[in-house]
Amino acid sequence: MAGEMMTGNLAAAWGARLADVDYVPAFPITPQTEIVEALAKWCESGAMAARFVTMDSEHSMMTAAGAAAATGARVFTATSSQGLLYAMEVLYSISGWRTPLVLVNVSRALAAPITLESDHNDVLAARDSGFLQIHAETCQEVLDSILMAYRIAEDERVMLPVIVNLDGFYLSFTREPVILPEPEQVKQFLPPFQPSHLGFKASAPHALGVAVLGGTPYSYFRHQMHLAAMNALDVHQEAAASFEQLFGRRYDVVEGYRLDDAEDVLVMTNALASRGKAAVDVARAEGKRVGLLRLRLIRPWPTDAIRDALRGRRAVAVLDQNLAPGQGGILFQEIAACLYDEAIRPRALCSFIGGLGGKNLSEGEFRAIFEQTAAAGVRGKGIGPVLLYTEAEHREMVQLQMLAGEPGS
Amino acid sequence: MQAVRFHGRGGQGAKTASRILGTAAFLEGFVAQDSPIYGAERRGAPVAAFTRIAREPIRERGLIARPDLVVIADASLIEDPAARVLDGIDERTAVFVNSPLTAGQLDAQGSLSGRLTVLDLTDIALQQLGNRSAISALLGAVAGRLIGLRRESIREAIAGELADLGLAASVIEHNQAVALQCYDALRTVPVAVAAPQPTASAQLHVPMYEPPTRGTARISAAANSVLRETGGWRTFRPVLVPDKCNGCWLCFTYCPDGVISMTKDDRPVIDYAHCKGCQICVHECPTDALVAEREKGGEVAWRAK
Repeated sequence: MAGEMMTGNLAAAWGARLADVDYVPAFPITPQTEIVEALAKWCESGAMAARFVTMDSEHSMMTAAGAAAATGARVFTATSSQGLLYAMEVLYSISGWRTPLVLVNVSRALAAPITLESDHNDVLAARDSGFLQIHAETCQEVLDSILMAYRIAEDERVMLPVIVNLDGFYLSFTREPVILPEPEQVKQFLPPFQPSHLGFKASAPHALGVAVLGGTPYSYFRHQMHLAAMNALDVHQEAAASFEQLFGRRYDVVEGYRLDDAEDVLVMTNALASRGKAAVDVARAEGKRVGLLRLRLIRPWPTDAIRDALRGRRAVAVLDQNLAPGQGGILFQEIAACLYDEAIRPRALCSFIGGLGGKNLSEGEFRAIFEQTAAAGVRGKGIGPVLLYTEAEHREMVQLQMLAGEPGS
Repeated sequence: MQAVRFHGRGGQGAKTASRILGTAAFLEGFVAQDSPIYGAERRGAPVAAFTRIAREPIRERGLIARPDLVVIADASLIEDPAARVLDGIDERTAVFVNSPLTAGQLDAQGSLSGRLTVLDLTDIALQQLGNRSAISALLGAVAGRLIGLRRESIREAIAGELADLGLAASVIEHNQAVALQCYDALRTVPVAVAAPQPTASAQLHVPMYEPPTRGTARISAAANSVLRETGGWRTFRPVLVPDKCNGCWLCFTYCPDGVISMTKDDRPVIDYAHCKGCQICVHECPTDALVAEREKGGEVAWRAK
C-alpha cells in the first residue's frame, strides 16, 4: 500500500503546504484544530514559507484572509461550525472582491443544542455566499481537492474563493492511507498566483468593495459572480483532467457508484457516502438494482451531471445530513428543482434526513431507505422528509427526558 | 476485513493503541483505517477507538458495531453501561481484558461471551515502565498479536506513533521492549471474520410534536449530575493514611470535582461514587497522607512520591 496513514485534518494541512500558500490566518475550533496546529508547526520550523498568524476570532481570520488575498497572496484558512457562521458576513465580502482563497470547513453540527459531531448545516449555510464548495469523501480527496480548489479558484474565468468540506470525526480524526503528491508535480498543476485584478502596489492604488447605489451596478456585479461560479463547472473538468494526468486520480463534479443498471439511486455527499456504497454492495448482493450518486461539487450546482445520472430512474432517494426547519432537506430541494424540467424524470423522489449531529447511519437505516424508496417507486409517489431515527434510539431519548425533568416536577 | 474495537478511559492510550495497530497493519501491506471517538470530557471518561484492516478498500467509517476483536483497557468499563463495551459481541468475538483477574474470575463476574484473553498490562506497566497510565504501546502490541500481525511491524509502529506524541527515544525503546514482552506472552487467536449477516431494516420512529418543556434541550431537574457516578472512571483511587494527615486542606482546595469534604477535625472524606481518580490530591498532599491504590487490584500499587 502506497502513501502513509494520515487523518483528514493532516491531509488538509498537507494540501495547504503543497499548494505553497503564502499566508495562513488561523483560529482553532474542534474538530478543525489539528489543521492549524500542523500548519503552525510547519511555519515555525521553516518547512513552510508561509506567514502564520493566530487571530482573535473567525471574523477577524476571514477578514485577514480576504485582505491578504486581495494583495495577491495565496491564502489558506480553516474553520468549522459556529466559527464558519461567525465569519459568515465576511464570506460574502470576500467572494464579492473576487479573491480566490481556499477555506477548509470541518463539518460540525450547529448549536443549539451544542455538539461536536458532524452534519452539514454549517457548510450549507454558506451555500449562497459566492464561495464554491467541494465536499470530500476520503482523506485523499481532501488533500487533492485543496489543490484542485486553488487551480479552479485562481482561474481568470472564475476568481472566486472555494470551501473544501470534510466531515468532523468521520474524516477529521480518521486515519487512512494518503498518497502525498510530489511538490514538483504540484507546481506543474498549480502555476503561481498572478491575478490581474488584485495586488498591492503603492504607486498604483485601487479600491475593492466600493459602494454602489441604485441597484444597476449591484445587479451587474452580482450576476458576474454567478457567471463566474457557473464557469467553474468547465474549469473543474479541465482541472480534473489535468490532475488525473499528473497524479492518476480522477475527481468529477459528481461520482456515480454502480449506477449502470440501477433502478433506484441514493444521493449522498461527504464521508458517509463510503457507508452508502457499502450498503449498495449489500443490496446488490441480494439482487436489488440500486446505485449511489455522490455530489462532490455543491457550488456551482452541477445540474447537467445530476440530470444525466438520475434520468429515467424508477426512484431517487436524497439523504440529507442537514435539516432546514420548516422546509426539510436542503439538497433534496435542489435535486427536485433540477429534475423538474427533465422529460423522463424519476417516478418518485424521496427525502431522508439522517446522520444529524454525528448520529450513525446504520446498515439497518440504509436498508430502510432502499425498501421505502423502492416502494415509493412502485407507487409512483415520493415520501418525506423521513427522519432516520429508530425506535431503540427513541427509547434512549425518553430516558434522557426523564432525567432532565420538567418544570415544577 | 478485520474490525478491532478498543475501549479505554481517557488518558490510557486507547486512541494511540488503535493507531499502532493501524500503522503496523499498513506496514504489512494492508489497507488500514483507524479513528477514535470521544466527547468533551477528558481523563477517565470512557473512550473508544476503531481499527479496520483489509486487503481491499475499506468502505466502512465510524464506529464498529460488530467487532472481530475487542480490546478492553480497563475492566471497570465492562460494568459501565454507557461505555457499551459488550455491544455486538458474540461467541466468535475475540475479547482481551487488561485485568489482574484470571479469565475464569472475569467470566464469573460478568457475562463475557467471546473468546477471552487476559493479561495485567497495568501491572506490567507499573513494574517495568514505572508509569501508571502508559499502556498504549502494550495495548497495541496485544491487539497486533491477537490478530496475527508481525512482531517487527508492531515494534516499528510503536516507534512511529510514540515519536508523534513527542516522547524521548529512550522512553520509546523502553515501551517497545515491554510491549514486545506482552506480545510474546500471548498467542494469536484465529479471528473468525464476521460472515456478512443480513441486517434487519431499521424500525424507524416518527417523533410527534411535544411542548417545549419536553421538546427543547433543557434541564429542570436540579443537581442531577449526582446521578452520574463518575467513580467508575477511576483506574486508581486516592486513599487517606490518617496518621500522616496534617489537616492542611490542600486536597480539598485542589480537587477539581469537589468530591473531597472536610470533617470537623480537618480530615478529608472522599466521595468515591464521584471521584474520577485524577490523583491531583495525591500529588498535592505535602505529607504523603494520600496514596493511590489500584482499583480492583486490592493492594497499593503506586505512590506519587
